[in-house]
Formats: sequence, C-alpha cells, structure tokens
Amino acid sequence: MTHLHIDELDRIQLDDGFEWRPIRRRFDIRAFGVNAYAPGASGRVVEEHSESELGHQEIYLVLRGRARFTVDGNDHELGPGELVFVRHPLLRRGAVALSDDTVVLALGGKPGAAHEPSAWEAMFAAVPAARAGRWDEAIRIHEEALAEQPGSAPLLYNLACMESRGRRPLDAILHLQQAVARDAKWAEYAARDTDFEPIRAEPGFPA
Amino acid sequence: MNDGYQVLSLDDLDRLTSTDGTLTLLPLRRTVGFRPFGVNAWLGARAGDHVIERHHERDGDEELYVVVRGRATFTLGDETFDAPEGTLVHATPGTLREAIAADDDTVVLAVGAKPGKPWQPAAWEDFFVAFAHRAAGRTDEARALVADTLARHPGTWQGPYNAACFEALEGDDDAAFAQLRVAYERAPALIAEYAPADGDLVRLQSDPRWRELFG
Repeated sequence: MTHLHIDELDRIQLDDGFEWRPIRRRFDIRAFGVNAYAPGASGRVVEEHSESELGHQEIYLVLRGRARFTVDGNDHELGPGELVFVRHPLLRRGAVALSDDTVVLALGGKPGAAHEPSAWEAMFAAVPAARAGRWDEAIRIHEEALAEQPGSAPLLYNLACMESRGRRPLDAILHLQQAVARDAKWAEYAARDTDFEPIRAEPGFPA
Repeated sequence: MNDGYQVLSLDDLDRLTSTDGTLTLLPLRRTVGFRPFGVNAWLGARAGDHVIERHHERDGDEELYVVVRGRATFTLGDETFDAPEGTLVHATPGTLREAIAADDDTVVLAVGAKPGKPWQPAAWEDFFVAFAHRAAGRTDEARALVADTLARHPGTWQGPYNAACFEALEGDDDAAFAQLRVAYERAPALIAEYAPADGDLVRLQSDPRWRELFG
C-alpha cells in the first residue's frame, strides 16, 4: 500500500484515553517519525508528556477539527492547517479535542541523529493483542521491535510484561533482568507493576 | 509565546514561487528551524497547478506527502490516483512522484529524509529562497544567499547546479558554465538528464560550450 486516507489507518484505543493511528508502522517509514492521533473516550488527542527521554523536536499539525493544545502551561486553540512546533524537548505538551472529528498529525525526531523507531510504537501496537489476551501476538510484536533495536531497555521491560502475562516466566525473568542491567529504574517500575504478579515470587525476580 | 515552542498557521508562511512560476513553496522547516528531518508545504493556488514537482528523489530520500487542504491528483510510479484532503502518500527513494492540484488552494505537506542517516538541511531550500529573492528584484540578497549556500554545501552537485541556473538567469554565461561543469563532474548522469529539460538553462543550449559539455 502506497497511499491511504487518515480514516483508513488502524485505530488503536489507548488506556490514556486517546486514539493512535499509526502511520510510520503502516508504511514502514524508516527515515522519520510520523503518526496521527484522534480523540478517544477522554477527549484527549495528544497525551500530556515531554520528550525528555528521546530528545525529540515535534510538530503537531491539526488536519481536521479543533484542538486545545497546552504547551509549557500555555493554552492555544488550533484548527485545520494550524500547528505547534515544540523545539525544546523538556517542555510539557498535550492537547484535548474540541470536536469529535479532530485528527492531529505528529512529526518527531532527534536533531543530528538518524531516525530510530521509538520503543513506545511497539508497545502501542501490541495493545489490542494484550487487551484480548493474545499474548503470543503481543510478544511477537515486541520481539520484532527488539530485533531492530537490540538491547532497548523499554522494549525488554515491556516484552517481559507480555511474557509474564503470557505464562512464560523464564523468558520474563530473563528479559526483565536484561532491562534492569541497563537501567536500575526498571526494577523500581517492576516492583509496583501488576503485570509481574504471576512471576514476582520466582527466583531471580529483580525487585 | 516562548523560545521553546512556536504556534503558527501554514497560511502565515511566506509563499515562494519558483522562477518558472510552476511551484509555490511554504517554507515551514526553514521558518521554524525544525532540525530532525525535512518538512515543508507546497501550494497549488489554482486547480491544474503543480503542487509537487515531477521528480524521483534518486539521492535516497524517503518521503510522505499529506494532503492538508484541497485535492490533488498524484502520480506515484506507474499509478495515478485521486488524493482528497486527509490522504497520505508514501514514496520510496527513486520512485517517480508528482502531484497536480485538482481543487483551488490545495496544500500538500511533504516530509522527507534518508533512512539510517542523520538529516542535514538540503541546499535546495536556500536556493529556492534565493531564486524567490531574485524574482522579487532583491538580486544582491539572492546572490549573497547563493554564495553562502554553496559554501555550506561543499561537494554536492545540487549546489553548483543551482548556482549555474542562477548565473544563467542573471546573464553571466561564463559563470554559469563554470558551475555547470562542476555539477556535471559530480553527477554526470543526473546533470545530463536534468539540464536539457531545465527552463533556467535554455538560453545556454545554443552556446558551443553546451555541446562541448553534453555532446
């Protein structure tokens, strides 16, 4: 597929209450980050976040509808053809839709670096499978992403989550240990993550 | 507003028209200083106008086009299709791509970069601005930007090729041929394809040096 309409993209409802429409994964774009978002149950269309981890600059362009963006504490109502460019990765940014048909295009990448697909894309893509208890599929999505980004701690951690829920305790312990070896913060996350209830008592659980 | 972010409309951007009047650039990336990859908008003011020029990105850029407003007829490889507002078009490197506005006031966003390589600002953006300065009579400003762009993009064929176009339009044939020779040495096949079809260089074709260069 070389072309499609924004309404033909997959629509993945995320727990944070917005809808992710994956563009980069759909076309297997390797050179830059690009996705679309629409409002979910909460009306939110862009999650409130900063880019402190990834160091990305971002452009959000309203393709349809209206949205109220909040950037660094300031509100801006934007309609079609209007955009916000967030130069500084540390600024918090987010948006709520002001009409149900709102679609926002998000572009992002790190200046001076070749683009690498963000780990969260695999996590988002695995949400429908995980929600339906199709753990083998959720695990496969993370394994494919890890094959492209070997050693990615966020991917290892989330793979371990899927393996724990999918009753693969040995794989889950191994991948969680690998995530913790790269950054000890993952042990803190695991200590309070309910995904690990099935394996918390296993030998080698790093928390 | 603060230095960390910027809010604007695509309609706030300059509208820079190519020398032959067939293309209108809304220079988003250059205006806001976005650095991770290329992103600009193109305007087809009237139905029938080119909104994306016919080209291949043979240097390896992967591109995504987004019809932000209006409607366009896209050609991608051997396929031609209708692209209403909200259409996404993905073009791999080397694939022929072109779009004609099907409605007045059609705007297409173009996003592009080379997979696996850190992005650097491309020379064509500055040359497009320089040619717009020239068309508006700001020749000194245009010439300064051409010189600056050449200095910032050493070793490319695009630099001397665009400089050759600029000098040809300015009537300095000696300078035009000097730049064209440099471009040809760096990318003979591409220059031999592009130069004969380039309206900026038409006048040079009757010069003996043209035959000397291209045979």
